[in-house]
Amino acid sequence: MKALEVKDLYKNYSRWRGKTTKAVDGVSFSVEEGEIVGFLGPNGAGKTTTIKCICGLIEPNSGDINIFGIDAVSDTRKAVENTSAVLEGNRNIYWRLTTRENLEFFAGLHGRSKKETKSEMDKLLERFDLKEKEDTSARKLSRGMQQKLALACALIRGTDLLLLDEPTLGLDVKTSKELRRFVMQLAVDKGKTILLSSHDMNVVEDVCERVIIINDGKVLADDKVRNLKSLFDVHLYDFILRGKPSLDEIEEYHEVIDVRYENNKTRLKVSLKDSGSFYRLIDHLRDSGMELEKVENLDTHLEEIFMNIVEEELGG
Amino acid sequence: MKEHIIFYSVVKKHFIELRRYFLNTLMTISGVFILFLLVFMGLRSFEAGTETLKGSIIGFAMWTFAVGAYSEMSWGLLQEARDGTLEQLYLTPSSFRRISGYRVFASFLFQFVLFIVFLIIMMVTTGQYLYLDPGIIVLVGLTLLSVYGIGYVMGGLSLVFKKVQAANQILMFMFILFLVLPTITDHKIIYFVPISWGNVLLNKMMVDGLSLFDLTLVEHAILILNSFAYLVLGLIVFRFMENIAKKRGLLGHY
Repeated sequence: MKALEVKDLYKNYSRWRGKTTKAVDGVSFSVEEGEIVGFLGPNGAGKTTTIKCICGLIEPNSGDINIFGIDAVSDTRKAVENTSAVLEGNRNIYWRLTTRENLEFFAGLHGRSKKETKSEMDKLLERFDLKEKEDTSARKLSRGMQQKLALACALIRGTDLLLLDEPTLGLDVKTSKELRRFVMQLAVDKGKTILLSSHDMNVVEDVCERVIIINDGKVLADDKVRNLKSLFDVHLYDFILRGKPSLDEIEEYHEVIDVRYENNKTRLKVSLKDSGSFYRLIDHLRDSGMELEKVENLDTHLEEIFMNIVEEELGG
Repeated sequence: MKEHIIFYSVVKKHFIELRRYFLNTLMTISGVFILFLLVFMGLRSFEAGTETLKGSIIGFAMWTFAVGAYSEMSWGLLQEARDGTLEQLYLTPSSFRRISGYRVFASFLFQFVLFIVFLIIMMVTTGQYLYLDPGIIVLVGLTLLSVYGIGYVMGGLSLVFKKVQAANQILMFMFILFLVLPTITDHKIIYFVPISWGNVLLNKMMVDGLSLFDLTLVEHAILILNSFAYLVLGLIVFRFMENIAKKRGLLGHY
């Protein structure tokens, strides 16, 4: 069953003198129940606007949004019964309330009583390492803890669809990894459906099986991460050479990503399309008398795929 | 949907926050009380009559109540937007207008207790004693509906325009004008502006010792019509501004 279905979503903002800005330009996608989908795009791509349209905080100009079969545009309240969101990291909680009071309030806001959610709340506090801080005001928690609390507050609402807008923004590496692990568990153990927007490719690559890439309000790609990787089958190699090669000749046939000279050695990072290109470059280096010290095949990351897709779009 | 749980959560949160801001609340009340003493001494030095002195106590207590009630709507909303929690309040199977209604109820409970305590302190300090008939709860509640209506208007405006502090300050002075208006004129305008007529009836009960049943049907009707007109107007304007905020994507802005 489709947990979320967005069809031909348009949102324009009117500016002065009749000018309009297209924030979302015909976005369509769907998310199956229990799926974690990454929503990737640069700043101003339309990610947050799309997410806010889904949860009824922004009214779209046109388009359909269905959450578990309920029309979220015409019946927002009914659709919201099964939706929760973390919208701007740690700015979703009451700083004057304690950790537990925040959880109790947000559970109550979805009509869930303290009694009903008691054991769930305890589990969340344990899982997020917030048990010791349950009676501490949220304002006294570290940023990481506040963000974990914001996520816990979204979870305690007990909804099946979770919209996470930049949930790891501003977190240190350790906390970010913890949060990613937890998000993955949510889909596997609890069957939650998650739409996760982020700038951070590592977060999306770690957590999501499928990714939707958006730019200028349009969906540029919507596919499984592994399919996108094979679609943009570029191989990155890191060469360490003794001496200084002539770059002009290499650049004529291959895409040079980075070059560094150090201690009479050259570190050359190139993107090669196939194994033929690799052998051609090796031959060229040998013919020009360069001594190869080391060569390493670098894995293709989502970041390169993303750049390829966005650049391709810009190039028309 | 369990609306009573939502209601309980909102009211409980309101009181928890009041407890956390206790010192701030206490200092505000002390400041208002000092201001009252200055006004009262000023009136006495002008040899104002007992009725005027008693009227000033009621007027001042009502003004404090009105400003508190109205701030809950306008300033409270702005604070939520600034803290980033406003959008979370929209993510409820209940409605935001209901949520804000529950907040208004919680705020009224607290403000009413404060109103009575404030009145008693003022009476003891000044030696001017007033009748405290239980019926004043109904009268104060009805009178305050018009203030909540204006609060909804300003709350709606703050959703779209954000910076409405200047208008808030002007309104605080406007409330003083509305409260003293019946002492300046007996023109019918006092039936139409907010809180003026309620203050007139409150004086009748607390200074002249009348009960709620001693007031005429027409007197009650004017108050009810005035208060509900402002409340309905407030809700309409709030809804209108809320729709604009949703269209322009302004709910989360501050």
